[in-house]
Amino acid sequence: MKLNLKIYRYKPGSEPHYDTFPVDVPETANVLDAIERAWDDLDRTIMFRHACHHASCGSCGLLVNDQEKLPCVTPVKDYGEGATLKIDPMRNMPVITDLAVDASPIYQRMALIGLPIIRDAETLRADGKEPLPEGLEAFRRFENCLECGLCLSACPVMATDPQFLGPLTLAAAERLLAEPRGVDIERIYRLVDDEHGVWRCHSSFECTEACPYEVYPGEAIMRLKRKVGLRKIKQFFGGA
Amino acid sequence: MEVKPKPVQRKPLEWFNLKGKRVGFWAYVVMRLSAVGLVLYLFLHLVILSQLAVGPAAWDNFVALAKSPAVLLLDVVLIIGILAHGLNGIRLTLIGFGLGVPRQKLMLWIGLILTLVFGVLSALAIFAETK
Amino acid sequence: MSQKYHVIVIGAGSTGTATAHDLALRGLQLTVIERGEIASGTTGRNHCLLHSGGRYAVTDHEGAVECIDENLTLRQIMRDGLELNDGLFVAVDESDLAFKDTFLEGCASCGIPARDIPVKRALEIEPYLNPKILGAVQVPDGVFDPYRFCLSFLATAKKNGATVLPYHEVVGLLMSGQAVSGVKVLDHRTGKQYEIGADLVVNATGPWAGKIAAFANVDVPVLPTAGVMVSISKRLNQMVVNRLNKPHDGDIVVPQRMTSIIGTTSWKVDDMDAIHIPQEHVDKMIEFGEKMIPALRDNPIRGVMAVARPLIGKKSADEREVSRTFAGFDHAHDGVENFVTISGGKTTTARGMAEKISDIVCAKLGVSAPCRTREVVLESYRSYYNN
Repeated sequence: MKLNLKIYRYKPGSEPHYDTFPVDVPETANVLDAIERAWDDLDRTIMFRHACHHASCGSCGLLVNDQEKLPCVTPVKDYGEGATLKIDPMRNMPVITDLAVDASPIYQRMALIGLPIIRDAETLRADGKEPLPEGLEAFRRFENCLECGLCLSACPVMATDPQFLGPLTLAAAERLLAEPRGVDIERIYRLVDDEHGVWRCHSSFECTEACPYEVYPGEAIMRLKRKVGLRKIKQFFGGA
Repeated sequence: MEVKPKPVQRKPLEWFNLKGKRVGFWAYVVMRLSAVGLVLYLFLHLVILSQLAVGPAAWDNFVALAKSPAVLLLDVVLIIGILAHGLNGIRLTLIGFGLGVPRQKLMLWIGLILTLVFGVLSALAIFAETK
Repeated sequence: MSQKYHVIVIGAGSTGTATAHDLALRGLQLTVIERGEIASGTTGRNHCLLHSGGRYAVTDHEGAVECIDENLTLRQIMRDGLELNDGLFVAVDESDLAFKDTFLEGCASCGIPARDIPVKRALEIEPYLNPKILGAVQVPDGVFDPYRFCLSFLATAKKNGATVLPYHEVVGLLMSGQAVSGVKVLDHRTGKQYEIGADLVVNATGPWAGKIAAFANVDVPVLPTAGVMVSISKRLNQMVVNRLNKPHDGDIVVPQRMTSIIGTTSWKVDDMDAIHIPQEHVDKMIEFGEKMIPALRDNPIRGVMAVARPLIGKKSADEREVSRTFAGFDHAHDGVENFVTISGGKTTTARGMAEKISDIVCAKLGVSAPCRTREVVLESYRSYYNN
């Protein structure tokens, strides 16, 4: 399948521009395969972030035709034979070079929340209990959020408030409050009940549209608003 | 070797950049534009009301102007703005309390349809009266 | 230590990052150079299986012992990069079932805690398993996130003073006489080349090791071997599901978050950067995978990936026969000083590989600090991005 990739190019100290690369990839390829083809065959100086190629590491996020995508799981078929795909780096993050952004806005935000895992495995449990007595949730498992930052890129509030906690952080906070696992929830409440926290969200739901992994941050933020709001009302009337 | 990345350029105009955006963002933009419009209208309204203090002649002049089709059309725009802003405001209040969140998009479309229906009805009513 | 040495580690995959962590802990000053993003090579496109050693318990005793040892160590030091779900070895046919006792003995002799569980129990835990399976053994397999795996090691190395240069490609080695004295890099951010001096250079570039070694005119017997993996658009298993038999193509289904990944095959490649995936390998994955989990065929494929793995051996050997364990080369034996290569191995055993190569590096530099990576708990992967 023939495609044209119109790729954003930026080297520090020079003006950004676009270079167009014609590539030929199999029908079953994803956009990341096409970018890699351009890199391999045409220009080894195209810099882009990628690692796992199966939507697990969250490193490859970028814009395809101005929409936030994980190119590793975005089929080229979606755009059709002969299409021109405009490829840009994510919004709201510093650009290191070309499509590679500085991901620290993502990870520094998520570090405020805490560990993304559930309980331990069973085989090594020393207490001799039956294996997996509580069913599947007894496994230690990653949360769905890949920390890819597509929601931070899509969020219109991020475009104007760099201190905004952002969709993924608020969604993670909501997840933690729903299942605290011994974490200090007061700290989480203090973090999100802030002008740069949950109240800054203006409900455009672009985060949910951008999310590649069913985290649905927009919906999570609404649940969080309810939680924090009800708590404040209770506190106003002297409740705990 | 120290090479600094290109910093994020934060422009308020990004709010109105609709490239690649979806319906939720359009609602977000409409909410902001209609809010600005309604605030401007409020001041206009106060200015016009203050004509009452000037005297009956000034008021009669205004009433004559208000009946012109161009101004009546602005009235329709005003009604649509109020409906759009108000109905979406109700939607945002509800989902902000965690109510009906899974159906937030449906609520958006319902609000839009109600805005259009009542907008058209009010236009018909306004222009029918002037005949 | 009287003198502060400067070591350059080329490659930020699992081996390079673990080596950087080990050397930084021993007090060496070092720089990690990576031509792209962290883990963008072999480590990134990984099956993500944290081996219990079960897979090698019968065929490769040494490799299996290494796996279970490192598996248990990583559980202690890596807090947020692992999914600990255990694994199942399932018997699909009579020959698998006949293998079960050999397998259990193998696990016992390697120190792998394996437990023969009733088929009914296995089907309760894994409802998508083929209901016709004849037996199941539970082992402490796990899953890791390859990007976070490398970030954790690098975050800790950075905390201990290491610097990391992503988007820097090594384009040459600096030589003074018959000794390596640094590297020449191309900074892809600016397009400019410059030189970085070092007392010693560690080549941890996996299947690319031969390319780097060629800059010093030495040969590394690394055999780049590609493997294809197929990611399915639904998570169909909670535990890692393995075929209860000797290692074969398409005999592992690794779950991760919301996907199941079938792997893998094996074929020789010449160009590590231009791997074209043969469709028959993809079909093979589905065909073998569905014997264990029939629903793998009914759910759409989400992505297919392939990458070169560095197997150590001679260029002519049959790929699966080549040892999966790693090798460290001190190129002083080839007449080039201050240059070592580490390649081969598995992500699961990266820490152990790093320990061995760091011992070699420290011996060469006359540094006596012992390895501490078994005990030191790693930083969170997120703190790699702390300023």
